[in-house]
Amino acid sequence: MQKVKLHINGFTRTLLVNAHETLLDTLRERLNLTGTKRGCDQGSCGSCTVLLDGTPVLSCITPTIRCDGRKILTIEGIGVNGHLHPVQERLASDGGLQCGFCTPGVVMTAVPFLQENPDATDDDIKEALSGNLCRCTGYKKIIEAVRHAAEDLRHG
Amino acid sequence: MSTSSYFLPGTIDEAVSLAKAHPNDHVFYAGGTDIQLHVKQRLIKPNTIIDLTAIESLKSVSIQKKNMKLGTMVTLDQIVKNPDIQKFYPILAEAAKSIATPVIRKSATLGGNLKVSNRCSFYNQSFDWRQSVGSCLKDTGDICQVTGGLNHCYSRNVSDLVPALIALNARIMVQTSTGINEMPLIDLYVPDGLIVHTPLGVGGIITEIFTSDEPSKWWFKKLRLRKSLDFTSLTVAATVNKKDVLRVCVNGVSMAPVLVETGINDVTLEGLILQVKRACKTVDNDYMPLKYRREMISAFITDCWNTFH
Amino acid sequence: MGRVIGKPTPLIDAVQKVTGKAMYTDDFKFPNMVYVGLHRSPHAHAKIMSIDTSVAAAHPGIKAVITGKDIPIAFGVLPISPDETAMAVDKVRYVGEIVAAVAGETPEAARAGADLIRVSYKPIKNFITPDESLVECSEDEKIHQHTKNSKNIHKIADLSFNDPKDGIASSSFTRSVDFKFAGVTHAFTEPHSTIAVWNGDESLLVITATQVPHYLHRTLSKVLDIPLHKIQVKKPALGGGFGGKSDPFPHEMIASKLAILTNRPVKCTLTREEVFLTNHGRHPTEMTMSVGCDVAGKITALDTDIVIDGGAYGSFGVVTSYYNGVLLQGPYKIDRFGFITRRVYTNKPQSGAMRGHGAVNPRYAVEVVLDMLAHDVGMDPCDFRQQNFLSENTKTVGELRITSNGIRECLETVRRKSGWDDRYGKLPNGHGLGVACGFFISGSALPIIWNRYPQTVVHAKLDFDGRIVMFSGASDIGQGSDTMLVQIAAEELGISMSRVQVEVADTKLTPVDLGSYSSRVTFMVGNAAKQAVDKIRHQIAASVGNEKSVPREAIQFADERVFTDDGKLNLTWDEAVDIAMAGRGAFVESGFYISPKLGGKFKGSGAGLSPAYSFGAFIAEVKVDPMTGQVSVIKVWSAHDCGKALNPLSVEGQIEGSIHMGLGQVVSEDMRYHNGRLLNANFWDYRIPMTLDTPEMDVTIIESNDGEGPYGAKEAGEGPIHPVLPAIGNAIYDAVGIRMTELPITPDKVLTELRKGGQQ
Ligand SMILES: Cc1cc2nc3c(=O)[nH]c(=O)nc-3n(C[C@H](O)[C@H](O)[C@H](O)COP(=O)(O)OP(=O)(O)OC[C@H]3O[C@@H](n4cnc5c(N)ncnc54)[C@H](O)[C@@H]3O)c2cc1C
Ligand code: SF4
Ligand code: FES
Ligand code: FES
Repeated sequence: MQKVKLHINGFTRTLLVNAHETLLDTLRERLNLTGTKRGCDQGSCGSCTVLLDGTPVLSCITPTIRCDGRKILTIEGIGVNGHLHPVQERLASDGGLQCGFCTPGVVMTAVPFLQENPDATDDDIKEALSGNLCRCTGYKKIIEAVRHAAEDLRHG
Repeated sequence: MSTSSYFLPGTIDEAVSLAKAHPNDHVFYAGGTDIQLHVKQRLIKPNTIIDLTAIESLKSVSIQKKNMKLGTMVTLDQIVKNPDIQKFYPILAEAAKSIATPVIRKSATLGGNLKVSNRCSFYNQSFDWRQSVGSCLKDTGDICQVTGGLNHCYSRNVSDLVPALIALNARIMVQTSTGINEMPLIDLYVPDGLIVHTPLGVGGIITEIFTSDEPSKWWFKKLRLRKSLDFTSLTVAATVNKKDVLRVCVNGVSMAPVLVETGINDVTLEGLILQVKRACKTVDNDYMPLKYRREMISAFITDCWNTFH
Repeated sequence: MGRVIGKPTPLIDAVQKVTGKAMYTDDFKFPNMVYVGLHRSPHAHAKIMSIDTSVAAAHPGIKAVITGKDIPIAFGVLPISPDETAMAVDKVRYVGEIVAAVAGETPEAARAGADLIRVSYKPIKNFITPDESLVECSEDEKIHQHTKNSKNIHKIADLSFNDPKDGIASSSFTRSVDFKFAGVTHAFTEPHSTIAVWNGDESLLVITATQVPHYLHRTLSKVLDIPLHKIQVKKPALGGGFGGKSDPFPHEMIASKLAILTNRPVKCTLTREEVFLTNHGRHPTEMTMSVGCDVAGKITALDTDIVIDGGAYGSFGVVTSYYNGVLLQGPYKIDRFGFITRRVYTNKPQSGAMRGHGAVNPRYAVEVVLDMLAHDVGMDPCDFRQQNFLSENTKTVGELRITSNGIRECLETVRRKSGWDDRYGKLPNGHGLGVACGFFISGSALPIIWNRYPQTVVHAKLDFDGRIVMFSGASDIGQGSDTMLVQIAAEELGISMSRVQVEVADTKLTPVDLGSYSSRVTFMVGNAAKQAVDKIRHQIAASVGNEKSVPREAIQFADERVFTDDGKLNLTWDEAVDIAMAGRGAFVESGFYISPKLGGKFKGSGAGLSPAYSFGAFIAEVKVDPMTGQVSVIKVWSAHDCGKALNPLSVEGQIEGSIHMGLGQVVSEDMRYHNGRLLNANFWDYRIPMTLDTPEMDVTIIESNDGEGPYGAKEAGEGPIHPVLPAIGNAIYDAVGIRMTELPITPDKVLTELRKGGQQ
């Protein structure tokens, strides 16, 4: 067991973890941050994506012990002052979700992607989301929503 | 409950001595994307985890003219996006882009990809699954589930970067407790599904990969059903350099990558295919059927050949 | 009409979902909760000789251990085939069947405990393929003793009208082709999950990821022997179902039993591998499809012989058996018609209902055969289909009542938008177009459990605060049925959607709805909801009319006002509600739906009956790589007649999702077995299309305005999948001249066919 300090969504938590505990387990089972979803627990669906120091990672294959002293942003920390992030707003308004189970992972992948690629084309968006499994939407409205969010972000 | 210990060394030397102190049960943890898959399926349970993330010297990228040197903690994402790699070694960028998914590539490293575990349809299964078939040589059993043999394991090397790097005639630097060695990348691989990698010596870490063989022509293709996520069923990478040396490296169809190196005018297409096929021990342990993968070896090499000629 | 209905409307829970606040089953935690670990069979078919649970029971943190004998009462979603128990009792019938279960203080303890259970087995002959199950075997080898044959045939369904065999024999053109379909599974993203709580008053609360709270309610009562009124099943947010959560499941019964035994809340969430093993997906299928037509291309007869692989248990299999045949009666008029389906038991995870239930594989077969006939006759495949369509307001040969029918417009639309007439048959080698049509029920007219109740009841409550609450047992599984309830109330009462809330899928609070399957929810629940809120409107109109002395028929509801056109009455919604509350307070109105009496008098006439049918047409454009045999679907056009799109955003979403799922089945998905062991129970090797694999989609909604559907609506959740698969198959033919008769169409199969040379 080792002590780790996690800066999660702007708040610092200290906990004891063993070397094998994954960040997904820590978030969901210990910190009750259940917005991050467990679709496969095998690194192959993208639903557990969170940001580690601003970079998206799959929390189901990230040991918590590695996150010591680092910043973690989960779906609960996206959007400011009660406002949705444009990616969230567009996924909601443009039909970019149905059951919603893949949605937190999509948001956590698309938000940093648009930050780095504000002028992304549809093809870029498709590429960026090519690890996010969605069984409901056929992706079309997800891609459109992310494109619209990019436009919203550009036009402030 | 686990009693594993976790270390976060800041230098290579530190990492090597930690490894030396835990000779039998340590694992170097790079991106962890491959290790975790094996942990989840209870294929491995590393006791001493030596996390390489804090070692800055392993993260350097240096491309001067045609000389490329990459630290092993460089991520696949960095390789995909590096403009110099795209310019001088596009085959490498292409190979990196063919791996896993964009998010995984942000964690996955070059070093981890060089040493990605061999795969097999009968081995990369859950504990219960393996128990139910009676396990196999690579696991705790005493028979190969594919061939019924008692001695040989034919698990596949599935790295996509490795064939590209071997086609680029890349060499690696290895640091051990006794010093620093250099060797051709191809020598890292052993065509034995149980051994897989040449032992690197006590505490051995691959620190760097380098090449200066900028190709004049290159060809890369990965056989898979989907455009992302899939492990390879066959990866072929080939280059021709300024001296007309053809290097064709085939992976995903044998226990180790297979290299054929020859003057481009010293070989016929048929000869080339024959050499590759002879060296590949392809068995029916992948998602795609055996016969098809064998056919695709010829088809890919033919396509590559036609592109080069 | 049309203030809310017919407008693209975001889902009412969309904000909850994009913020991660939506609560799915596994997101709930209860104090003092314990976790379930399941011990599963390593054998495909074996007698259980003994089970030793002592070591597991003694393991630290293990609170209870149970085996099949603790929940021995058999169940099945169809009351006619209760052939399953929560855990194997005397023998196991597939690798992965649950044999024992433990409750542990932590998930890790539960896992460890489950691993410590020791079972000794005596293997029995395995029946892995349908061929093996169709051969005579001894009584003690049979998978189920109850089958009334000396083989492992679960069900034979057949119907025949007007001697189809003779019809085919005497046709000018005939084709009889063998097809083979691998099994596929739903692969919803949220793994199965259940929480069971045993309350102090000996009542059971089950929070679970289900599409059928009502059937689960009944089944729990039966297998646990608890009165119906002591069970509350609640479905929270649900991460996709597609038919894969429409049976009562063993883990739901196990969690409940363990909750009773430990007197603690119990959670059971399956791993992804366990989800694959639970399956209930589309039946692996083999069939011979025979169709004849005359020289003018008029279909004369259809006859088909089908074997479906049910796996180890019944599930919806009897219905599937019929659907495989009866749903071939549309969208074409076929007067000489027959089929026989044999559903066999095999030692594999069971098959069940999956999007497009029973009709997807035969649809592939028939549409490919029709394509061949069109070529034989020398007609354009669109023209060929066009001249064979059923009309509106007619009956099929098996007496399915066809009412609204937009098939012509569907086909004309995709034909025009895809540039079919200029491009079909004219694209360069390796590049092709293909067409197909589809047809599906909009709700099964007969309930699974026969009774005289309505198929759904909806309560609408008006309270003093001006809010409407819709109480419905309907299960929103992502398709948006909660949003539909709100839309209907807002539409009928002229209020904003934000005034309407739902209380849904809770067997204690909400009146019975049969569940989200057979595309029944919009049609049935929509009608019931409309009726309930209409009654509320009449009540308000009556109260207001009385008090203000205006004729109630003159009272209008719109824009949050209650008024008359002449301006004599002009109240805000709240003022009107205040009047309606006088002397009685909050009140509830009820609406219900019972389908009309339908169908013929022959045996089997009930199968496929629906108050309405959806129609669709689809064109796919593909490229085939001659070197690898790889098929890329580059663009598709879909037109679907859903009657009326209450929410076009959701209808498009259903169509797009259907396209994606159909694409997966046709090019890459399959359940693969190695001696009965599922080889690809993960997302690496069960290959679902990702963003880059999914084509550009052009979707058109066709509205035929059904006379009986709410506002004219029919279904859109399942129908759109049917034509997807054969259109892609037919496009491959246009591209490279080969007929693919085995799914999925993987590159190796394409290459094999290409080598044989384009035939037919
Ligand atoms: C969904 C999914 C899809 C994938 N698809 C592909 C694919 O298409 N192709 C492919 O090749 N891989 C694939 N992978 C596997 C893996 O992600 C990659 O191979 C990745 O590059 C491994 O890098 P890593 O840094 O994560 O390695 P790790 O998991 O950290 O390490 C892998 C091995 O390398 C050793 N190692 C790492 N660095 C060093 C070093 N410097 N010196 C000595 N030993 C070292 C480790 O000890 C370990 O044995 C996939 C993984 C997932 C989860
Ligand atoms: S090739 Fe044989 S021994 Fe090697 S992993 Fe596969 S089954 Fe095991
Ligand atoms: S849950 Fe982590 S990738 Fe699926
Ligand atoms: S919305 Fe259901 S999985 Fe994406």
